[in-house]
Amino acid sequence: MHLLEGEGVSIHFGGLAAVSDVSFYIDQGEVLGLIGPNGAGKTTLFNLISSCYVPRPGILKFKGKNITGMSPYKICRLGIARTFQTVKIFANMPVIDNVRIGSLFGNTRSPASAEANQQSIELLEFVGLSRVMNTPARDLTLANQKRLEVARALATKPELLMLDELMAGLNPTEVAQAMDLVRQIRDKGITIIMIEHVMKAIMSVCGRIIVLHHGQKIAEGTPQEIANSKTVIEVYLGE
Amino acid sequence: MAKSPSFIGSLKPAGPESLTNLVIIVLALVFFGTFLFYTDIDSIIVFYLFYCFIFIIIGQGWNIVAGYTGQISLGSHAFFGIGAYTTAIIWLRDITHTWYFFDPLVMFLSGLAAAVFAVIIGIPILSRLRGDYFSFATLAAAQVFTVLVLRGGKLTEGAMGLRIPGTLFEDLGIYYWTGLLLAILATAAVFFVTRSRLGLALRAISEDEMSAASHGISVLRYKLIAFAIGAFIIGVGGNLYAYYIFSISPPAVLNLNWLFYPILVCILGGNGTIGGPVIGGFVVGAIVVFSETLIGRVHPMVSGVLIILVMKFLPTGLIGLKAKVFQRH
Ligand SMILES: Nc1ncnc2c1ncn2[C@@H]1O[C@H](COP(=O)(O)OP(=O)(O)OP(=O)(O)O)[C@@H](O)[C@H]1O
Ligand SMILES: [Mg+2]
Repeated sequence: MHLLEGEGVSIHFGGLAAVSDVSFYIDQGEVLGLIGPNGAGKTTLFNLISSCYVPRPGILKFKGKNITGMSPYKICRLGIARTFQTVKIFANMPVIDNVRIGSLFGNTRSPASAEANQQSIELLEFVGLSRVMNTPARDLTLANQKRLEVARALATKPELLMLDELMAGLNPTEVAQAMDLVRQIRDKGITIIMIEHVMKAIMSVCGRIIVLHHGQKIAEGTPQEIANSKTVIEVYLGE
Repeated sequence: MAKSPSFIGSLKPAGPESLTNLVIIVLALVFFGTFLFYTDIDSIIVFYLFYCFIFIIIGQGWNIVAGYTGQISLGSHAFFGIGAYTTAIIWLRDITHTWYFFDPLVMFLSGLAAAVFAVIIGIPILSRLRGDYFSFATLAAAQVFTVLVLRGGKLTEGAMGLRIPGTLFEDLGIYYWTGLLLAILATAAVFFVTRSRLGLALRAISEDEMSAASHGISVLRYKLIAFAIGAFIIGVGGNLYAYYIFSISPPAVLNLNWLFYPILVCILGGNGTIGGPVIGGFVVGAIVVFSETLIGRVHPMVSGVLIILVMKFLPTGLIGLKAKVFQRH
């Protein structure tokens, strides 16, 4: 049984087929890359998986269970967490509260306040933000805001973590740190789907890659296969 | 290592500001707690304070929804009216077999009725609409409720309204004490909500709903809870007012002033703060009592215009001025 499985997932916005008939799966322990040109539908696919949108038509299954149309907060509690491409941290709250929200609300059994605090502090240490714990989140640098996104997603104790362009806008040092972070998360046993334009990162971290273009899945394979695929090269050069 | 917060809500380090707040709270409690012992009980001041307490109560009821979830409800007059009508109906039909006049059970039931109404209209409204559309829908629901009251037959006596017995009235003492107690309770309720798990969820929702939902917060559930708590508080305000006017009719308790007053109280004092509606309550109380004694009745248009003026010239409310003073240090 796959951890997550999509069958013929589609969604239209007006006349635009943002995601169209995409079938995919991801297995426990994998790091799956999701790439494609701007507007390919990658973020929309995340929005579908996290149930911000409901596929029409299409079916999503998590550990064999149909989760299509479930409320987003239930999806989160089920063990699917995500970060946002356009950072959506709670800007006016202190950093620690951002993480505590994930911990207090993102699990079926809500931990006691002290336990949530402890978990949040540990996660902030893990992503390297413990020094700015009490700063309002809006005052963080972009790189740190992205780390915060990761920390609070992890606070919901996910089995599957979806990272949407974690490395976009970061400088080379920060990209290297982010890649390390992704590996460490994988080593914790958390399955990852990551959207990324930074090819170096995708190629070195992911075991398998799916390529979207105009809402459709046009290729799928190992980084090696993708790098050598004619269709993929055409799509990227054609842009 | 930095000190870890022990509260659910975020803790600011205790600075001069929180100490000032504590001093202000204690002084205010001592002042209002002893006020009647050195004032003529039937003076206009006591009457004025009673009005202020009502404004603080309904202000806090609106504050919890608008200030902490960012949803502007335009249905307060319905909750207020429901509180007043529930009081009258329970009393006139002798439903609870208690003493009715300033009866805690009747107060509770008046709030509860408003909260139930809030849940009934809140489920369809909050699950589909947000922002302006939420506002319009609450206004529409409140107006539908007004029509129902006008056509309520024997239950509400239509435009005539209901009269509760005025024979129990002795002096303003009980009005003052109950009003004070309820205003403190309403303010404390908002305080504890903001410091609780619920408050944390509400803040997250007001910052970004999609992000809140993606982190396990049931947006509908928490918005509904806040809406119901707010309605409960405003309903209790309606109950208190019913004891004061005795004649409960649509023009008295369902007029648009009861939609505008809580908004005015909050934005004048400072929306989304604990102390704002308290300050706002005293100022709006002054405006209303002054104009009622001077020109008879306050037209809803006046409160509407005031709201616009305050939003234009004092967007953070009076409490915002205090924050500015503290920032200078
Ligand atoms: N809520 C929406 N309403 C209308 N159109 C939308 C909506 N969300 C996405 N789209 C459109 O769907 C298409 C796919 O968008 P999406 O954000 O998924 O692209 P992407 O692959 O993530 O691109 P990028 O690499 O730029 O982030 C775009 O044309 C976008 O404008
Ligand atoms: Mg995107």
